Formats: sequence, C-alpha cells, structure tokens
Amino acid sequence: MSKPAVKKSYTFQDRIYLYEIIKGLGITIRHFLANVRASLRPGPHTIPTTWQYPEDRTREISPLFRGAHMLILDDQGREKCVGCGMCARGCPAKCITVKRGKRKEGQEDRYVGKTYCTEFHIDLLRCIFCGYCEDSCPKGAIMLGPEFELAGYSRDDCQLFKDGMLTNFHRAMEEGKLRPPRKPVKVEGAAPGGSGTGAGSSSKSPGGPDKQADKTQQ
Amino acid sequence: MPDWKIAIIKVVFIWCWTLIVAVIMTWVERRGAAMIQDRLGPNRAGPFGLLQPLADGIKLFTKEDIVPARAQKYLFTLGPVMFALPAFSAYAVMPFGDKITLGGKEIILQISDVSIGILYVVALGSIAVYGMIIGGWSSNNKFSILGGLRSTAQLISYEVPWGLAILAAVMLYGTFSMREVSLAQQGTFLGFLPNWGIFKQPLGFILFIVAAYCEANRVPFDLPEAESEIVAGYHTAYGSMRLGLYLFGEYINLYTLSAIIVTLYFGSWHLPYVDMSTFLGPISYGIATFLVFFLKVAFFLWLFVWVRWTVPRFRYDQVMGLGWKTLIPIGLFNLFITALFIQLSI
Repeated sequence: MSKPAVKKSYTFQDRIYLYEIIKGLGITIRHFLANVRASLRPGPHTIPTTWQYPEDRTREISPLFRGAHMLILDDQGREKCVGCGMCARGCPAKCITVKRGKRKEGQEDRYVGKTYCTEFHIDLLRCIFCGYCEDSCPKGAIMLGPEFELAGYSRDDCQLFKDGMLTNFHRAMEEGKLRPPRKPVKVEGAAPGGSGTGAGSSSKSPGGPDKQADKTQQ
Repeated sequence: MPDWKIAIIKVVFIWCWTLIVAVIMTWVERRGAAMIQDRLGPNRAGPFGLLQPLADGIKLFTKEDIVPARAQKYLFTLGPVMFALPAFSAYAVMPFGDKITLGGKEIILQISDVSIGILYVVALGSIAVYGMIIGGWSSNNKFSILGGLRSTAQLISYEVPWGLAILAAVMLYGTFSMREVSLAQQGTFLGFLPNWGIFKQPLGFILFIVAAYCEANRVPFDLPEAESEIVAGYHTAYGSMRLGLYLFGEYINLYTLSAIIVTLYFGSWHLPYVDMSTFLGPISYGIATFLVFFLKVAFFLWLFVWVRWTVPRFRYDQVMGLGWKTLIPIGLFNLFITALFIQLSI
C-alpha cells in the first residue's frame, strides 16, 4: 500500500498549537492590512477581486460575451436580415418571432436582401443566451452583443424588438465593442459559399418572391 | 449632587455605551471579516457602511415574530432575556476608569465597587448559559436542543480551568474587588516591566483567554451554534428581535469579557511607565483613564474577531479533551507556582 498522505507525527510547535495560531493570526492580519490599504487607495477598484459594480463600470467583458441581441447592418447601413426565420427555428427556447416582408422599390438602400424582417421580437425572459440564433443565421444578421443590463420592472420591459436590437447595434458600434464576424467554418461535403460569408450576397437571397410573404414563425 | 443621582448617571452612561459598542461591533465584525477574506463587506448604508447596524436593527424589529408550533411559549420568550440580561448586568462591577474629583466629591468610574466583583462576574457568566439551554429546549427542535446540550457540556469543561485561572489571579492580588485589582497594577514589575497581571500570570492569562473564548461561544469554541453542523444551534428556531437579542447579548458578552481580561491582566486603566494623574487635571484624568481602558478593551474585541477568521472550529470531543486533559492540569500547575512564589516572597 502507499504511504499515508498526512504525516502523523507532530512537532512540538504543532502540539503546543498556540504557536500555530499566532502564525495564522499573522497571515490573516496581513490580508486585513493589505485590503484596508487597498480600500483607502483612490481609484475605482478598491480590492482587486471586488468591483463596485453600479458605480464602477470599467470592468472589461470578453469580446465573446453573449448579451442582448443586435440586428447587424452592413457597411452601407443596410439591414442584413432577410427575415428567413432560421434563428426562430434554431432557437431552443423558442423565444424568437420573425415576420418577413417584401422589399419595395426604392428600399434598396435600407435592406440588403429582397425580403426583410418587418417585425422581430425576442422574449428576453425566455432567451437562454445560447447564441444558436447567431449560428443558424445564413446572413450573419443577428448577433449577441455586449449589453448585459437587462433587468426591468415589468415583463414588457424584457421584450426586445427590432428597434431595440438596432439600438443595441449602434451602441456597440459606438463603443467599439462589436466583435468581428466569425470566420466561416468549413464543413466537409458542403456546397461552397454557404453560411456566414457576410454582407454583399444580396442577389441570391433564399425564399425569393413567394406567396408566404408574411410568414410567421415561432 | 446626591449619590443616587451620580449612580443613575453612571448606570445610564454605561448602559448606552455598552449598547453603542455592541452595535459598532456588529459592523466591525462584518467589515473585518470581509477585509480578512479579501472582500469588501457591507459598505452601502452610510459612510463605510456604518449605518448597517441601524438597518439590521430596523429589519429585526419589523420582522414577523414567529413562535414555532409546539414550542414552550414562555420559556421561548424567556431564553433570549436570560441570555442578554446577565451580559448587561456583568458590567455593573467593571471599572472603566479611575476616580475623578468633582466639586470636592470623589467619584469612582465604576458603577459599584463590590468586594466580590470577580465572583459576581463568574456567577453571571454561568447564568447566561441557562439562556442558551432554555432557548434550545423550548424551541422543540432537534438542532436547538443539540446546541443547548453542547453549551452545557462546554460549560463544565471550561468553567473549571477558568475558575483556576481566576483563583491564581485572586491569590496574586489578594482581593476580589475589581477596583483594587486595577489599583494593584500600578508601577513597574522587576524594575522594567509594567506591573501588569500578564507578566506575573502568563500561564493564567492563556488559560483565561481560552476559557473566555469558550464563555463567549466564539470560534474556535462556538459549538452551541456551529452553523456547519447543527444549522444555528440553540437559536435555530428564533427569528426577529428575539434572535437579535441573542446576537446582541453575544456582543455585550464579548465587551464584558474583554473588560475582565483588561482588568485582570492588562493593567486596567494604567499606561505603562506613565502615571497620568501627576500631570492631568481631575476631569481630563478621568477621561484619559476611560480612553486608555477602552482602547485596551477595543484591542481584545478586535482579537475576538481576528481569531474568529483565523482558527477553525474545534470538534466537540476536542473541546472536552482540551478542557479536562490540558487546561485543568495547566491551571493546577499555575496555581501551585503562584502559591509558591507568593509564599517565597513574603
């Protein structure tokens, strides 16, 4: 058998125990003094491991953070979303509702695809922030942003609509927190030019002109 | 001013002062614990969170007062009172300063200089345990009764060494009066040390402080309320201000015990090497002795908090073993040595 992990014989100092207590007191008072000194120091971070959150918002969050959803615009400020509803389909919490509408003449400077989402609704109370909508989007039009202050006073405060998602996008743009689009993942045997290629591919939008223009998916 | 007015002023002053110290101690405990554990602690209510005890008090007073079903109602009510009252009363014999002369009248800064002050404190300390046992028994709760039982078992293992330590100190000073004990610690010992009890009774001091931690039910001897083992011990079933009274009594107990330690072993209101009465006026001397005494007490109050976050809890049988097999022999040895020195020097 292996040797016991703990040495059983105690030294005299261990037996007295008072000596060990005094050593322990030294350790705790060192922590105490260091923390008191740190808390008296000016600056937002009083103690390295504690953020005074509502006052101190300087804490950096990861660029991969999954917060409130954003609806992405391309370089010319056009909505990338084509309203296909793949995000709603892929959503495990079933919290997304998309309504698709047809792009009219003269709206080419507003929407990239021939169709667009007339309504976009996300129930943030249901959402689990898994990011599957982001993965399932063929156009890279939806993304989870850096916004995390999602508390509200009523259930209605916790619903995210299209304008809210655009606001989130603009704010993330201004603060430079928009993460670069993910590189397309190569899938074995898949057709080239698939998902995640980004902005410009407006001509080959799926669906096309069809009868179910106002298709609702939940 | 007649004597009874002076007495009432002293009682009211000490009552309020003890309450204030106990209230501030709850804040010190929480912030100190946080700082030791690399946290910040309650810092929202008021500057540095100093109003936190007030918020706690309001919360405790306004909570619903629940008596558990099938609890013994009268005993349940009596428990916290039995616990907190002795803690308050014990301060009656504690000196908090030397005497001051006001208008040709000598006022001692002590509520009453009882000739058996130390015995009085020991007796009240034992009564406080009844508060725990009654609380534990009347709650009709397994964890509560276990906590109450533990407090009893702990009592019989720490009271004997505690008594032995006090006995040695009493032999040394030759008096039971707290004020005379304080007066006896003036001047120097062996020419270079302050004439404090700790230098004459180092073993006795260690015994006393270990027993004091038992008496106060503080970590490492907080067996009656060991929260990782028996929920909250004797006050598991208590809520609202009844619980508040228990917690409050505990902090007042800490204050009383610290005052006894300072009186017996740390020179009471005396500064080492300096006799303040020679260069201070009568009133400023009174204030200075009060402050010196309180600063010493404050150190021991802090030591209670400090040790709490350093030493882990002893196991139940370990406390018994420590009390019976280690502290009592040391106490007897200390008694013997003290008697020998007293006999040889006289």
